[in-house]
Amino acid sequence: MEEKPFKASLGSHGSDKSSPDNDIRNLWTRSTLSQPKLNVPRSSVGENSDMEGGGISLKSRRWYNQKAGRDSDGGWEERDDGEDKGSFKQEDLNESSLLELELRRASSLGSRLGEDVDSVTDTEMSSSESSLSISKHTPHRAYWMEQQNRLPLPLMELMENEALEILTKALRSYRSGIGRDHFLTKQLQRYIEGLKRRQSKRLHLLVH
Amino acid sequence: MLVVFCTKGALSKGCQEVTRAFTLMSATMKLKQGSFLWYLYLDKLYCLLSVRNVKALLEYFHLLDVHHNNTLNDVLFYHFLHHVTSWNRTQIMIVFNMLDWNAMGEIGFDQFYMLVCILLAQQNHLEEQFIFRHSRPVFELLDLDGELRIGAENFHMYNFLFNIKKQDLRELYHDFDITGDRRLNYKEFKLFTIFTMDKYQERQKAEKDKDKGKKDLLKKKRLHHVNVSLKQFLGINVSESRL
Repeated sequence: MEEKPFKASLGSHGSDKSSPDNDIRNLWTRSTLSQPKLNVPRSSVGENSDMEGGGISLKSRRWYNQKAGRDSDGGWEERDDGEDKGSFKQEDLNESSLLELELRRASSLGSRLGEDVDSVTDTEMSSSESSLSISKHTPHRAYWMEQQNRLPLPLMELMENEALEILTKALRSYRSGIGRDHFLTKQLQRYIEGLKRRQSKRLHLLVH
Repeated sequence: MLVVFCTKGALSKGCQEVTRAFTLMSATMKLKQGSFLWYLYLDKLYCLLSVRNVKALLEYFHLLDVHHNNTLNDVLFYHFLHHVTSWNRTQIMIVFNMLDWNAMGEIGFDQFYMLVCILLAQQNHLEEQFIFRHSRPVFELLDLDGELRIGAENFHMYNFLFNIKKQDLRELYHDFDITGDRRLNYKEFKLFTIFTMDKYQERQKAEKDKDKGKKDLLKKKRLHHVNVSLKQFLGINVSESRL
């Protein structure tokens, strides 16, 4: 029974593996399993948060502020103070240590099946408590991981909207130039439809 | 960290349409406000994009690369430039032919990156600095015939891309054509870029001094005003005490 949360996450991991879109919810469900850097030394954890990801998440917030009123030198990566890097490091450490604890408990739970019921019940209680506390941190970690690897969402949205406008006009040229039935025209059309679907999916996620 | 250009090899191309384009030449190009490129900026010293900006640009390029060739064909390129700049069709196709230095009929990311840097340099009035910093790639870009020499007709292209005025072009040929063949080789061109850069820096300095002069004048006026009012105040007090 205590294995259920892990089986559930395994199941979701398996089903989402084929999904090309990397929905953030998938990250959350897989976060208890995919901890490649749990045993990384503290100094390199600090390094990791110092890297582009830390910068990007800091900058993405700045990007929000700069987008509205860009006068002269504004850009989404200006003003590299890194004032929040210290707090990010601490948060990352806490999350990684909690997750490590959870893993250890999970493995110990698995080995203790069939042993003393009281001890199992105690560990069950403690594991459920720890999983609760981890679930509080997990969304932040998933968000952080996403921000490390991706560009800020508003920037992506701006780029996609613009690309859509450009490609829609290009599609008209393709149709008039090489015809509707040409494979390049069809490829472009499919691509535009895929882009629109991605946009509406994101909008749907935002609304709900 | 800044991302530098990859230089092209010289290739032969006709430049008659280039010359023709120059007669259609218009005012300074402006990027469309609110477009993605509008949010990017060049490093003012090296006139290049940072790694983060390039990362975003690469993502943008891949969004436009609908056929997954890591290139943009002429149609996609045209619609991209038409959307983000104020250039007309002829100008856009001239730029396309200039950047298609491999004569593949497609533009790769290296060429796209160079184009974006040129656009941003124009947008931010950094043309002189850009030509100075990247004289070799610019020279190769303009050397359409691959003869390692640039004729006057090629130079008209500066107006289009780099905002070089007619007067400056006349000076260029008058002062820098050392070999006297009415064309500029790379060394002569480099001298020109250094000269233009010096002039640009002098202009900047003169503007700074002018601003400083204005500020000093304002300060003096204020001080004078304060002195006058102080004197008046003291004058009144002295007369009161005498009374």
